[in-house]
Amino acid sequence: MLQPSNYSLVLFLQFLLLSYDLFVNSFSELLRTAPAVQLVLFIIQDIAIVFNVIIVFLMFFNTYVFQAGLVNLLFHKFKGTILLSAAYLALSISFHIWIMNLRWRDSSRFIWTEGLQTLFVFQRLAAVLYCYFYKRTAVHLGDPLFYQDSLWLRKEFAHFRG
Amino acid sequence: MAARRAGPGVCPPRALPPVPSADEIPLSRPKKRKPKGKTPLDGIVQAAVRRQSESSEPLTPEPPDAPPQRKRKKKKVPADSETSFTQQNVASLFQNGNGMDVPEAEETVIRKQRRRAKKPRPAEVSSNELEVEEEDIIEDEHRKSPDQQPVFAAPTGISQPVSKVFVEKNRRFHAADRAELIKTTENINVLLDVKASWTTRDVALSVHRSFRVLGLFTHGFLAGYAVWNIVVIYILAGNELSMVSNLLEQYKTIAYPAQSLFYFLLSISTVSAFDRIDLAKASIALRGFLTLDPAALASFLYFAALILSLSQQMTCDRINLYTPPSENGSIWTAGTEAEIVHSWVVVNLVVSVLVGTSWIFLSSRPELDHSEELMFHSEIEEFPHGDVIPRVQP
Repeated sequence: MLQPSNYSLVLFLQFLLLSYDLFVNSFSELLRTAPAVQLVLFIIQDIAIVFNVIIVFLMFFNTYVFQAGLVNLLFHKFKGTILLSAAYLALSISFHIWIMNLRWRDSSRFIWTEGLQTLFVFQRLAAVLYCYFYKRTAVHLGDPLFYQDSLWLRKEFAHFRG
Repeated sequence: MAARRAGPGVCPPRALPPVPSADEIPLSRPKKRKPKGKTPLDGIVQAAVRRQSESSEPLTPEPPDAPPQRKRKKKKVPADSETSFTQQNVASLFQNGNGMDVPEAEETVIRKQRRRAKKPRPAEVSSNELEVEEEDIIEDEHRKSPDQQPVFAAPTGISQPVSKVFVEKNRRFHAADRAELIKTTENINVLLDVKASWTTRDVALSVHRSFRVLGLFTHGFLAGYAVWNIVVIYILAGNELSMVSNLLEQYKTIAYPAQSLFYFLLSISTVSAFDRIDLAKASIALRGFLTLDPAALASFLYFAALILSLSQQMTCDRINLYTPPSENGSIWTAGTEAEIVHSWVVVNLVVSVLVGTSWIFLSSRPELDHSEELMFHSEIEEFPHGDVIPRVQP
């Protein structure tokens, strides 16, 4: 059974990483004059996304539902979060590579093209959706129903077997 | 009976046991003396048990009557004296040590026990030993309760006359008021009880509610900021955008920070609005849109505002890098300024309207939160906690 103190700690870490992600997405453009700093921020941002995905998977492994063998149930329930996280990570890495590639030599150059603008919009929109879905999953995993045997779980088990 | 009435004058020669020879000393003797170090109750219980075991031993070479009687007498006297001593101690403890008076009921209990303790004496003389021993055993059970009472009664000290107690803090004793100390300990106990009942669901709910409060603040702040932004733009642009170059010159320093702040606030507001409608459950979200639910409408408006705001990133960067078209290396071409700025101002105006409308929708019903209802209560209502099956340990 997940202890409230442990859960609080994990939730705090998750929200910290989400906040960092939001902060970099919002204000990284203000640091365009220092490409090295921006690069470091982008690398940490991508690592933070990976960390968040690892944490949420560790939380999955900690659930009674997972230990009972109903992996599909968990993945089905949180597939939006998993898919969005993967998509957002891909979009972020792509955007970071592209923009750093263009700005590395001359940071004050006007670099925007239609393609970069589109990628930017999609990356930022995915960031908002990722934030919403990830936050929802992190909070939802605090439900004790996932950490104990219940009629709901048995019903789901029967549903999956049948 | 006659032996008892004769009193102590007759007893001493009888009470003294014959000095046993080295051969006669039973091996269990040292064991018999051990209980003296223990409580008198233990001694009595052990003596009674030993008597039973002794009486049940048919293989002893001694005659069955006389020796057990002697032994019993020898043990009984100290046992009685010890019990009476402890009872006196109990009484004195109540009166002196703790400042408490012994209640009458307890006194009667103690007297009864004294009477009962004396009763066995005449029975000892009689040949029927079994009855005496049974009584002894019953008495032991009764005697336990008054002996234990002072142990539990002593530390309470409710009627202790001293109102101050000394509490050790930082390796020093400080005087503290007793009543206040009791209050603080009660508060701590209440806090501990509250913390003990704190579950992960409560943690999740508190975080969710905290974010909702943050979102409520952000909605208002964003609406105000958007209005301020559009007012500043229109003031700098002049009447019917007649001073576009002035707007670009003045606004270029704050264009990027403003855009960044817009995205920051819009992200939090959109996530908060999605939380209100519980977007993850598509059917419920769609039903909300069709029934014109305020949270659903606000979510849609925020998302539209976010897309519009993001689409202006290129223009913002262009404004940020603004230099007059006449200068070398300028990314602005002459004649296109008004056109670019006009569309940008319109988009900003639309964003401000969308954000303001969303804020009105959400603040009209700030308590509306489908996410909390659906995430934490739907499954529980379907499967209440009573249905939870305890986990079976292998």
